[in-house]
Amino acid sequence: MVAGLATIIQMGLLATIVHRGIIDRVPPPDLLPWFLALIAVIVLRGFAQGLQASYAANCSRALRARVRRELNTSWRRSGPVGLREVSAGTLAREWLDHVEALHGYFARFLPQLALSAIVPLMILVVVFWLDWLAAIFLLLSAPLIPLFMALVGMGAEKLNQQHFEVIGRLSGQFLDKVRGLTTLQIFGQTASATDALRSRSNDYRRITMKTLRVAFLSSAVLEFFASVAIAVVAIYIGFGLLGYINYGPSPELTLFSGLFILLLAPEFFQPIRLLSQHYHDRAAALGAASELLARMDRLAPRPQPCLVSGAADAPASPDLIRATGVHLAYPHQPAVLDGLDLTIRLGQIVALTGPSGGGKSTLLHLLAGFIHPDQGELSVFGEPPGNRPFGWLSQSPFLVQGSWADNLRMTVPEASDVAIAAALRRVGLGPLLDSRPAGIHSTVSEGGVGLSGGQARRLSLARVFIADYDLVLLDEPTAGLDADSEVYVLEAMHQLAEAGKTLVFSTHHQALLTLADRILLVNNGEVRDA
Amino acid sequence: MRDLKPWLALILRRPGRLLAGALLILLTLLAGMGLLALSGWFLTATAITGLMLAAGVQAYVNLYVPGGGIRLFAVTRTVARYAERVYNHDTVLRLLADIRIRLFTRLSASNTASRARLRGPEWLSRLTSDVDTLDTLYLRLLAPAGLAVLVTGVVVGGAWLLGDGELAAVLGGLLVLALILTTVLVSLRTQRLTLKRADDLDRVRTTVVEHLEGFGELTAAGRAGKHGARLCRLAGSVARDQATADQRIGWHLAGSGVLVNLAAVAALWFGLGLFNRDAMTGPVVVLLPLAVLGLAEIYSTLPDAFGRMGAMLGAARRLNRDCGSDTGSDSATSNHADKGIQTATDGAGTGDHAVILADVTVRFGAQPPLLKHYSLMVNAGDRLGVVGPSGSGKSSIADLIAGLQTATCGTVTAAPCAYLTQASVLFDDTLKSNLLIGNPQASDLDLWRILEAVAMADRFAALPRQLNTWMGAYGHQLSGGEARRIALARTLLSQRSLLVLDEPFTGVDDASRERIARAIDPWLDGKTVIALGHGPEALPGFDRIVRL
Repeated sequence: MVAGLATIIQMGLLATIVHRGIIDRVPPPDLLPWFLALIAVIVLRGFAQGLQASYAANCSRALRARVRRELNTSWRRSGPVGLREVSAGTLAREWLDHVEALHGYFARFLPQLALSAIVPLMILVVVFWLDWLAAIFLLLSAPLIPLFMALVGMGAEKLNQQHFEVIGRLSGQFLDKVRGLTTLQIFGQTASATDALRSRSNDYRRITMKTLRVAFLSSAVLEFFASVAIAVVAIYIGFGLLGYINYGPSPELTLFSGLFILLLAPEFFQPIRLLSQHYHDRAAALGAASELLARMDRLAPRPQPCLVSGAADAPASPDLIRATGVHLAYPHQPAVLDGLDLTIRLGQIVALTGPSGGGKSTLLHLLAGFIHPDQGELSVFGEPPGNRPFGWLSQSPFLVQGSWADNLRMTVPEASDVAIAAALRRVGLGPLLDSRPAGIHSTVSEGGVGLSGGQARRLSLARVFIADYDLVLLDEPTAGLDADSEVYVLEAMHQLAEAGKTLVFSTHHQALLTLADRILLVNNGEVRDA
Repeated sequence: MRDLKPWLALILRRPGRLLAGALLILLTLLAGMGLLALSGWFLTATAITGLMLAAGVQAYVNLYVPGGGIRLFAVTRTVARYAERVYNHDTVLRLLADIRIRLFTRLSASNTASRARLRGPEWLSRLTSDVDTLDTLYLRLLAPAGLAVLVTGVVVGGAWLLGDGELAAVLGGLLVLALILTTVLVSLRTQRLTLKRADDLDRVRTTVVEHLEGFGELTAAGRAGKHGARLCRLAGSVARDQATADQRIGWHLAGSGVLVNLAAVAALWFGLGLFNRDAMTGPVVVLLPLAVLGLAEIYSTLPDAFGRMGAMLGAARRLNRDCGSDTGSDSATSNHADKGIQTATDGAGTGDHAVILADVTVRFGAQPPLLKHYSLMVNAGDRLGVVGPSGSGKSSIADLIAGLQTATCGTVTAAPCAYLTQASVLFDDTLKSNLLIGNPQASDLDLWRILEAVAMADRFAALPRQLNTWMGAYGHQLSGGEARRIALARTLLSQRSLLVLDEPFTGVDDASRERIARAIDPWLDGKTVIALGHGPEALPGFDRIVRL
């Protein structure tokens, strides 16, 4: 705005100086105040432009940070079970790239949109005041600015879609060949694949250019109107100055007003031209935003019945895990758990067994507070599930790129080096640790070689060890482990039991069943002691 | 800059196109500047004449030449702009293809082992975005910068001709300063920030994926919120760097605008001085500042483009690093293309033996070796089955024979082979092209016969486009077992005398497997066949079996 205003003033000053210098033949030194004012306005304009860019960049940054925080919140609300339905890569891409795509829209397109509504209007007002006939020329050459923008928009949209589709196709072709390069090498066909790549690129290029030739026309129209408007205004003013036109305000034209109008004419179109350049930002941002909103919508948890643990008839006990009348069903499926009543004492070792799909994992997720029952009450040591930190060992262990210490500190940031080393030794990772030069500070996957599945599981178990949780939930802790790792996991769980922790785990494994004080059979919505 | 050199050289291989594109941009620019400058000249001339006429002095101004010029410039600007955009877009697409093809030939010349760390979807998508970053090198960076210098020269030269040396020197000084501000300075001041942006984003991405994979554990430990906040902080610091770079670009843009405008003011100041001494006519006094103002158009595109210089350097650096060394010219690459494979299988002259592995050890990093002092000899014409559980080193043997892997110690000699890898790799292309990779000379009849053998002929005969059915992501969806059979058919088509089949029947049901094993027998006749699998039942007929 300020920049736009400064532009108008600058052009006015420029025209004044020219008028006084050339028509009135005032020598330059006498025009010095005008020159100084002109320089001041130019600097002011630059300053305003710089500030605007600065402000836009900051706004967009703050906005992206807010969207990311909101996404985080929606992840947390949805919980680990809900998130598992989408691949981590997809979610990460949304969190990073989709949010990034909002940048151009907020930093460039929106400010420009505001400018292209305001600045041409201001210019029109000034020109109207100078010479209404010239103002009408400007107005006519941009018949209706909204119409113009629609034209530009349509063209840009089409261009954008076409362009990105072709680029996508082409890079798809390229990546496909790169992915299968080994196969091509095996059969000695890389040269012919290169030829295919080249000819296909050419085909695609020809197709795109056909549509682009049409799409570019819309911006050519804009360009045409802008050029013609300047030309018409220039010739009109020229003839007016010569006194050839005796209609309307023309006889009053001076070099000042004429030049002023001429200088403003290109500025009249400039904001719209810039807007059309930023149009692709809008398309990209709208696409990303709609996907983000859809994701947040899908992640929104099912409406939870308002459940308060510790209702009157079942007082929440600080040393019991208690479930009363818990019912849970997924849409269009028979109930996973139906009318579950269960009490687990502090320090008890409970094994859940039963056929796969019988509801073992669901029960564990309920106890963890990752999902909530449709009906009934559930309390863990007198609090709603998930209120207090607890140990969780999922079936798919996860590793962090970094050192052993980084991996353990992810869940327990305050752990000491000694405690970390001790926890790792407890799960039988001692020998591996000793073979690494920097002990717990060496990277887990050294030389690009990762841990085996069993080693990774034990690393996850070490996370449970290092924190002093009362409750530890384990989902199939020995499934798919090699014999070596299995022994360590069993031993570690035994130690946890000895330490008086409450353990609840699902398993089919005989050795684990013998470790338990209590075995629950989970099947067809029922849970009963086996 | 050294990193950009190979890509610059590649781009400059189309000098005619680049020059034509640049000339079109130049024409657009000059027409734009000319339109404004000539209009200003025209107005001033008419104003002076108008005043003289009003004062009763006989005066004359030629209306037709400037009037025609103004119209000509207006039309030229429109047409040139349109032509420039179409033409240069075409150029960019061509350059993009050039870059891809260059990369592909470079990658083909590298061997599989050196590419091992480059697999995975992240790397592939990075490759795409890096290539896309480079394709604007010419249109956004080279052409505008070059033209800005040229047009500035023209304006300064014009000032000298129409005015005097002093005017030209001041104009030149201010404009060169603006030029430096919009190019060198912007790129210097943003390079550090944008160069590491891609790497920073990768790091954040890894952390986000870790956060999501460990979400259960983090939630259980009550740390999901805190760790999430850490992600936001990490992403925030990347965004802050970007915002800083954007702000700097914005200030440089504003600064160059100020300089260009000041140059126009200077032109006016000196012009008026000359006018007062009658060394310059009034219309020319107006023409010069307006021409200088017209320069702003090209200057305003520069800061943004040079602000991305760091990103471009980063992209070029990664591509140089990941995609092997430059092989120089493309003519050499076609010979080099399959070098990665051939070097390992040089010694084909092995007499009666098709394959000799002598005391071979294979190990990766610090892990226990996959194969230890392993020896194997296969006679020409033999059919050997290799069986063993997963992780016993079967695929390593196959890779060694095919030359995809080199032994840590020991020697491998093998004839060139057709190798069916464990993964069924099919391309986004027609069925026919996919099969012809095995043997480009095969006739349609050969293709139908081999499809019959792998029990896929009926499937495709029923489809409207038959052999021309499109496969892959955009095309016809195949099950894992079906894709396997197509990959097997492709391997069997090969004319090479040694066939290595790694788990040829993965995903194929038992009944079909037996049928196919019998049906493909004629294709194995007279060839040396090494088939690998976890059990003998998973292999086609063999004379001898080796257990790992």
